Amino acid sequence: MAVSVLSNWAGEAPVAVFVAIGEGMRDRLERLFNDARFVRAASPRHAAIFLIAGRMRLEDREDLRRLHDQMPHPRVTLLWNAEVGEALGDAEVFTGSTLEVDIEASEAGRSDDAVRDRLEKLWQELASGERSSEPDLLHDEPPNSWEGIGPHGQGGQGMMGGTPYGRPMAMTSDDLRDGLALDLYTARFGPFLPMFPPGLLLEMTLQGDVIQSVKVVRPPLSQAGGNDVPAALLRLARLLDVLGLPVLGQRARLAAVGGATSVPLEKLSRAIHWAGATLAIPRGLGAVEGYGDTRTRFANLVSVANGFSPAMWPGLTRSAHLSSILPGLEWSEAMLVLNSFDDETLSTLAAIVEGADEDRDGHDHDSGHMHHDHGGPHDHDRHQGHGGRGSHLGNDYHGRHGGHA
Amino acid sequence: MEIVPWVFLIGILSVLCIRGVHGVRHSATAPQQLPFLGGGTPDTHAWQRYHIRYYSMTLLFIAFEMEMMFMYPWAVVFVEEGGMAMMEMGMFLAILSIGIVYAWREGVFRWQ
Repeated sequence: MAVSVLSNWAGEAPVAVFVAIGEGMRDRLERLFNDARFVRAASPRHAAIFLIAGRMRLEDREDLRRLHDQMPHPRVTLLWNAEVGEALGDAEVFTGSTLEVDIEASEAGRSDDAVRDRLEKLWQELASGERSSEPDLLHDEPPNSWEGIGPHGQGGQGMMGGTPYGRPMAMTSDDLRDGLALDLYTARFGPFLPMFPPGLLLEMTLQGDVIQSVKVVRPPLSQAGGNDVPAALLRLARLLDVLGLPVLGQRARLAAVGGATSVPLEKLSRAIHWAGATLAIPRGLGAVEGYGDTRTRFANLVSVANGFSPAMWPGLTRSAHLSSILPGLEWSEAMLVLNSFDDETLSTLAAIVEGADEDRDGHDHDSGHMHHDHGGPHDHDRHQGHGGRGSHLGNDYHGRHGGHA
Repeated sequence: MEIVPWVFLIGILSVLCIRGVHGVRHSATAPQQLPFLGGGTPDTHAWQRYHIRYYSMTLLFIAFEMEMMFMYPWAVVFVEEGGMAMMEMGMFLAILSIGIVYAWREGVFRWQ
């Protein structure tokens, strides 16, 4: 009795939904979440429903499965115009309209309502226990077997040679900012990171929060967003969210939904001005030839919100690429830069460059090798140096530092 | 009454026992142990050393902190000691200020 009251009460709560946005669905989803019944979760750990919206690439399916398994129980998946084959098991399917551009606006609105109702119903069923939680899709195995291997059970020989919990230890390398050699963290960020453009997968190497190197693995998925005022407002909303001004972001989003008339745009741009949002963006951040810096791009978006026509930028220079813009920035700055470009410019900046590895400096390469081929001769040397003869390697590093400082 | 805490204790213990017998929900699976990267995977796990860039500011904080710690007993005896105490505190603050000026020169106030 008491339990059923509690579960019914839970069913009344706003639904936490984690969204993986596919081709052409981003702006539509941002409108979908302009509803108090739903909370867009920032990570799958806080979500009960996994909404997969829009067409996905074949190579994104594995990432979707991983995200699915990262959700806590009870959980359910809803596919909305998503073609992912059997990748997500027997997930719920919603087939409404196709892309927004193909259909009437009123029909899109009705289908959005239908999706909202479906999400709410799923959550109520899940909360009341009528619907059982979805099982795992991936095997519960660490990426490398490690337990009980090696003298200390850390999965290998030497101080840094093990793979505790299935992953190798981080290795030191020079830092771009002050040359203090600390550990590198290389990971693939994306393709469904909420602050990233949907579909963008970057292999980044970080030291703390400073980005050391960037490689584009998959470009962002194309979106239907044009250059009109609502699209600009949604872009502005994303930037405001990243700046830590979610309330202003929400106002910009509401203005985008209601068109230019419902929320007075002058008031919004005045609020943005007084919040000091422009000053929070460092001058010269993410400057691209012909495109100004992040601050000018932000100011341009605000002026679009104010009713001016969007500025026309000249074409990009060929050398402009994310792999040269982002390194050296802190994570928060890099997210501002990423969100300051329009879709078209970003997809040019995030084009996959053939042979991009070759002209990078050595340590990017190094780290790739030592983490992947365990037991290779190169790998062995590195680990030995770190474990047994650490001081020797340390001297080497110090020597190089003298030159830096 | 003596019995109330015992009832609580036994109640809590029995809940723990029931949970223990029933089996606590299995801990996080391998995919759940991953940090959330939007679907991507890391090369290494997250045990790593990184630069805590505020450490120089913490050193400066300690300089101010020590100043305050000395000022409390000083304030108690200030009235009876008079000008002598004033001079001593001036000397102490001067030494600390040298530390702060030095830290300033070393770029403590520059966030990097």
